[in-house]
Amino acid sequence: MFEFLSLPFMQRALVGGELVAVIAGIVSPILLFRKMSFMSVGISHGAFAGIALGILLGISPMWTAIVFAMALGLFIGFVSKTGKLSEDATIGTFFAFSMALGIFLIDISKGYHPDIMGYLFGDLLAISLSDVYFSMIILFITLTWYFFRGRAVVYSTFDEDFSRIVGIPVDIDYYIFMAVASLVTVVAVRFVGVILASSIMIAPAAASKMLSKQFSNVILLSILFGMAAVLGGIAFSFYTNIPSGPSVVFFVTAIFMVALGIKWSKNFARS
Amino acid sequence: MSKGFLFINSVTVRYDHLVAIYKVSIKLALGKFHVIMGPNGGGKTTLIKAIAGLIPYEGQIKIDGLNMKKYLKKYSIGYLAQRGAQFQSFPLTVLQVVEMGRYRFRESKAVRKEHAMQYLDEVKMSSLASHPIGDLSGGQQQRVLIARALATESKLIIMDEPLTGMDPRSQSRFYEMIEHIKEKHSLTIIMSSHDIGFTTAYAENVFCINKRLVPHDEAAKLLKEPEIKKLYGPNIHLVEHHHLSSEEEEDV
Ligand SMILES: Nc1ncnc2c1ncn2[C@@H]1O[C@H](COP(=O)(O)OP(=O)(O)OP(=O)(O)O)[C@@H](O)[C@H]1O
Ligand SMILES: [Mg+2]
Repeated sequence: MFEFLSLPFMQRALVGGELVAVIAGIVSPILLFRKMSFMSVGISHGAFAGIALGILLGISPMWTAIVFAMALGLFIGFVSKTGKLSEDATIGTFFAFSMALGIFLIDISKGYHPDIMGYLFGDLLAISLSDVYFSMIILFITLTWYFFRGRAVVYSTFDEDFSRIVGIPVDIDYYIFMAVASLVTVVAVRFVGVILASSIMIAPAAASKMLSKQFSNVILLSILFGMAAVLGGIAFSFYTNIPSGPSVVFFVTAIFMVALGIKWSKNFARS
Repeated sequence: MSKGFLFINSVTVRYDHLVAIYKVSIKLALGKFHVIMGPNGGGKTTLIKAIAGLIPYEGQIKIDGLNMKKYLKKYSIGYLAQRGAQFQSFPLTVLQVVEMGRYRFRESKAVRKEHAMQYLDEVKMSSLASHPIGDLSGGQQQRVLIARALATESKLIIMDEPLTGMDPRSQSRFYEMIEHIKEKHSLTIIMSSHDIGFTTAYAENVFCINKRLVPHDEAAKLLKEPEIKKLYGPNIHLVEHHHLSSEEEEDV
């Protein structure tokens, strides 16, 4: 059943997809515990405006997407930290704006753009080698960040005031985390598309949260769940000929539902 | 002149246009157990957060002659926030929570763990070290937070209404534990509370943050110090609390 692995484009899709699962798995539990999961929705749509700008200017959409996503991520972070407005209100306002801007930019750029659907819904099977290298770089950045700042960020997620008192630069950490989360979301967008990126950024972490009470295990599980969903999703898409993005999302959601079932049955057994 | 004291000098805190505390001045002797009393909204939390450097304020706070803000850049203090429901489902163990207090120390994982265990032992919680913090009762969580405060090795511990929700027996046990750790580590303890209870039996100094809306002279008329002493025992002191002029009241 694994003969699809002998095809080079499938190998790239798989390696790239698994890298995304690892990267998203590290960052997304922190987003979740900060009640900022919705942020990935905002950033991925911000990336769409960036992609559209890249198409308009004729430069690689990945770079413009990074710039747009990071700018939006930091802006959302700044407004919600200083504006006494919750993140979801800011995100709700700006992700619609980003989509509108993206559609507008694509509309004014000349020519036909068959790859728009690919950007919106992802096309794992169109992954190039440079996309794989790109996600390796982001993985390296994410791991470096986690190694140096992970403990402090978990602390400030848990108890911000006490973290300040023990000398953690809470605000600086917050913005660095926003930047990393934005980068990670852009990679997810590249692989599963603007609309579906938030799925891989939210569901594996949410499933893990229900199954573990140890932060390191939550991260580990969310990585494993993401990886399993990517493997399942790619294989399923290969044999059924459905697009790979939705296929991965189906698997992620299935894992989430199973975790929910386990959690419920545990609660049920206890009562 | 402020050696040996936590010296709060004319501290004012505003939230936007609301003046929460106004020109509060008080000298608190180090090495003693101080209790801040006051009604809801009286400004206890505000004063505590100002001392802990968590909110901006006008005026000065000094500890043992040192500017508190500078002090806080170098050292931690033991701080217990007014309790909310924040620890319900966070995936950290009791031990990991206490380890937070060791953040400033450069030590190996093993040594950090050893220290944390030792402080958990002091509050008699080491048997629950590997439990998720969210699985503990409110009173148990409180003790873990005290262990975390001790783990900072700070000589100053500030607690914002730690007695909320405790029955009288737990309260007196809590006070006994506080007295014990205070003596053992020669700590200064500042705690807020809004009910008198048996606070005055344990505290070495009790002071009130008056409601800012009660004019100072009226408050003084209502509550003469000797009468308060009769009511609550000899350890209580009224703190002069400047009344807002009518002009400032309009801002409020
Ligand atoms: N973040 C804030 N923004 C605006 N106003 C605030 C804020 N925090 C406190 N206040 C106001 O400042 C005043 C003092 O509040 P504070 O929390 O210090 O009182 P407290 O004595 O701790 O009360 P409690 O016993 O209810 O804990 C209140 O009028 C309150 O409404
Ligand atoms: Mg309070």
